[in-house]
Formats: sequence, structure tokens, C-alpha cells
Amino acid sequence: MPASSPRKKKSLWSQTGPTPRLLFGAFVIATIGLLGLTPKEFFGLSIAWPYAALWGAVGWGRVGLSVRPMLLLIMFGLIQDVTFHAPLGCFVIVNLVCYGASAMIADMFDVMNEPLIAILSPVLLFSGAFLVLWLIASTLEDHPVRAVPLMASLLTTGIIYAVGQKIFDLGRAPGEGVGQAT
Amino acid sequence: MARLGRSGQKTRKRSPKRLILGVFIFAAAALVLAQSAPQIRSFFDPVRTTVGDQLGGSDGFDVLAWVTGQTARERRIRELEAEVRDLSRYRAAAISMAERMEAYEEILNLMGEPPARGVTARVSAENDGPFAQTILANAGRAQGVEPGAVALNEGGLVGRVIQLGEHSSRILLITDFNSRVPVMGEVSGVRAILFGGRDGLGSLTDMPERDEFIEGERILTSAEGGAFPRGLIVGEVRNVGGDWRVEFSMADREGGYVQMVPPPVIAEPETVEAQPISASPAQGVRQ
Repeated sequence: MPASSPRKKKSLWSQTGPTPRLLFGAFVIATIGLLGLTPKEFFGLSIAWPYAALWGAVGWGRVGLSVRPMLLLIMFGLIQDVTFHAPLGCFVIVNLVCYGASAMIADMFDVMNEPLIAILSPVLLFSGAFLVLWLIASTLEDHPVRAVPLMASLLTTGIIYAVGQKIFDLGRAPGEGVGQAT
Repeated sequence: MARLGRSGQKTRKRSPKRLILGVFIFAAAALVLAQSAPQIRSFFDPVRTTVGDQLGGSDGFDVLAWVTGQTARERRIRELEAEVRDLSRYRAAAISMAERMEAYEEILNLMGEPPARGVTARVSAENDGPFAQTILANAGRAQGVEPGAVALNEGGLVGRVIQLGEHSSRILLITDFNSRVPVMGEVSGVRAILFGGRDGLGSLTDMPERDEFIEGERILTSAEGGAFPRGLIVGEVRNVGGDWRVEFSMADREGGYVQMVPPPVIAEPETVEAQPISASPAQGVRQ
């Protein structure tokens, strides 16, 4: 009997390879980051702008370690250092630590199919990243820096990531090498 | 919950990437720590400033403004406003100094420089050939230009009229090798004779052996010889390979016009008939 049942049509995104996905994710991060340089007030309310590079660190790390995401995260980190007037390297550390931790969690657990892990791991990763950032900032500034703006940005970062995490999914199973994507 | 089915081969394949990640994190940490030293932090400051200017210095990119040229106009307006602010400070300083100088001159009963009256003319021809460097201005005797008149532009001294026609004047530039201008340093007061060099800079000769110019000070006419009035700006002095050279300020402001002012006239002293001087007893003249 011929297969007469209609095949489920695949979306364009699901057919896209890891490299275009990586580039698109980087473009989104850069765009959000650049928009963050503009005034962020609506009707007198200041918006806590997300740390977009962390989306990439968490999302790209879910498929394991790779050099290209690392280089992109270093670049974004240096730009963040300049825009936030931090010593060069601070945000690089935060991004790379978050990326490494994401890869480590993906290596230890099935982040793709376990709902609890899929929810908990980004929460832990974002919280850990902001904690590292707060620690670095407090150490370098010689006093505990304000935590409330960081918490607000953490919330914004996490909420937006929950909505748009597919953008930072490279479309490979964890540990799968380049060219092995199904 | 834990991931199963991991082969040892995969772990070995990923280990270099872990090492790379570790190296990157270590390098970033080292970079952060290194910046605790002010010398190293200041090394990165120009980079940060430049990138910061690019990222946050502009007011945003407006395509319509760029197409219509409004961006360029606004940039020009900002530049001019900055220049006006600078000039306002200079004007205030100049007014203050002029008042002081007036008071000093009054106290000393000093004869100041006479007010310059001159003829402004357009440069109608320039001669940059192998011979004398001259320019031709479209004003001559009929317009009131006098022989030997001193030519100035917005930057300072340009030269001297060496040929005067009815409606034109030929001016020998101070950049010419044969030109000789008595000059002095504005701050050091060192005197010298300036002539044009072949490389576009002025050369100085007949300098005193002991005194030295101050690098970057302005060079003014000293009025020795009576060909040029005193205090006209000629340029700035630079030490080039151990020699004092002058960057001509008139070269910076070539607006195409020159003002020709009459040369200074120093009245000859009147001859007084010699009278016999009678010696007084108090002077102890020998008899």
C-alpha cells in the first residue's frame, strides 16, 4: 500500500543546519545588545535589559562544546565589557563559564527530553551566571554592588529565553559531531 | 535522568574543546587581573575609548537624515559651535590682555604700532616654478598699494611687494629661498633671519650662539631693518634634525586673498646744529 497519509511538513527552521542557526542566534544577540544601548524607558518606566549573550551561552552549550560559539561569546563579552565599562574580560568569563556549565549539564543529563531538567537547567545557569557576575563586580569594585538591577535583568533574560529558546538551539543532539545532524 | 550510552571515544574527542574553554576562561581571568595594574589598564584605555565612541558616541543612525545631508549639516554645526566656544575664550583673553597692554603703554608712555591701513586684493596668479616664488595680486598703485608693501593673509605674513603695477602687485613669498625676514621667537625673544627652504619649511640663520628657540613657539617679525612691522605672525618653530625650522602659518590659511599694508616708515632724525658745550666747574674740566 502506498504511503498515502500526508507527511508532516517540516518547518524551515527545523531544516536549517547548525551554522546558520548559530549565525542567526548571534545576529539576534547583537541586535538585542545594540538596542540595549538606546534609551530603555517607556512611559517613564525603565526596562531591565536582558543580557542577550547568556541566551547564546545557555542555548549553544546544550549541544556540547564547540570553538565557534566560544569565539562568538568572547566577542560579545568584550563588547559588553566596553559598554558596561567593566574591566576587559569580566563578561567573557561569565559567558564562557555559563557556556561550559551548560555543556556540562547537557553532558550529564538529557536536557532535550527531560522536562524537569529542561526547565531547571536554564534557571540554574542564568542564576549562576548572574551570581558570578555579581561576585566579579563586587570583587573588582571593592564593595558589594547593587543586586536589584541584576535580579531584574536576570528575570528579563530568563523570561525571554523561555519564549525564544528555539532560536539558540543549534539543532543537534548533545555530543553529536558536526555533519551528524539528523 | 542521567544520560546513558556515552562512549569513551566521545569523551576523548571533546577533551580538546574543554581544554580550549579552560584556556579561554583562564586568559580572560588573567586579563581581568592584569588590569588591576594602572599601567596595563591605561594601555587598554584608548581602545575602550574608541570603541565606546563608536558604540555610544553617536546619536543613532537616521537614514533619512543621512540621505538628505542633514547629518552632515548637523555635524558641521556642532563643529562650528565648538569652534565658537573656543574662540569666545580667546576673545575674552584678548580683550583682557589688550586692556592690560593699553594700561602698560600708558604707564610707560610707549609709542605703539600705528594702526594698519591696507588694501585687500585677490590672488590672481601663483608662480610655483623653479624661480622666485611669487604671487600676483589684483591691486596696484591705483588702489593705493605702496612699493614694498607687506602682504598678509588670515594665517600671517605672506611676503612683500617687489613689483608694483598700476592694477597689480607681485609679491615675493617668504617661502622663497631669496626672501630674508628678520624674525624673533615670541617667548624666547631669540632673533634670527628667516629664509625659505626647499622642503617647504623656513630656515633660520644668523642666530645667536648661546640662546635657543623654544620648540613650538610662534615666530614673529622683529622689525629689524624696517622692512616689516613688528609682531606679524610668521609661523611656528620646530627642531628638525637638530636644526630650527619654521612652519609657515600663512600656508594653513590660503583663502585666496591678501591684505597689503604699507611698510613701516621710520622718520629720519632731524639734524640739529651742533652747539659748543660749555663745561661747568662741577664737571672738573681741566684747564
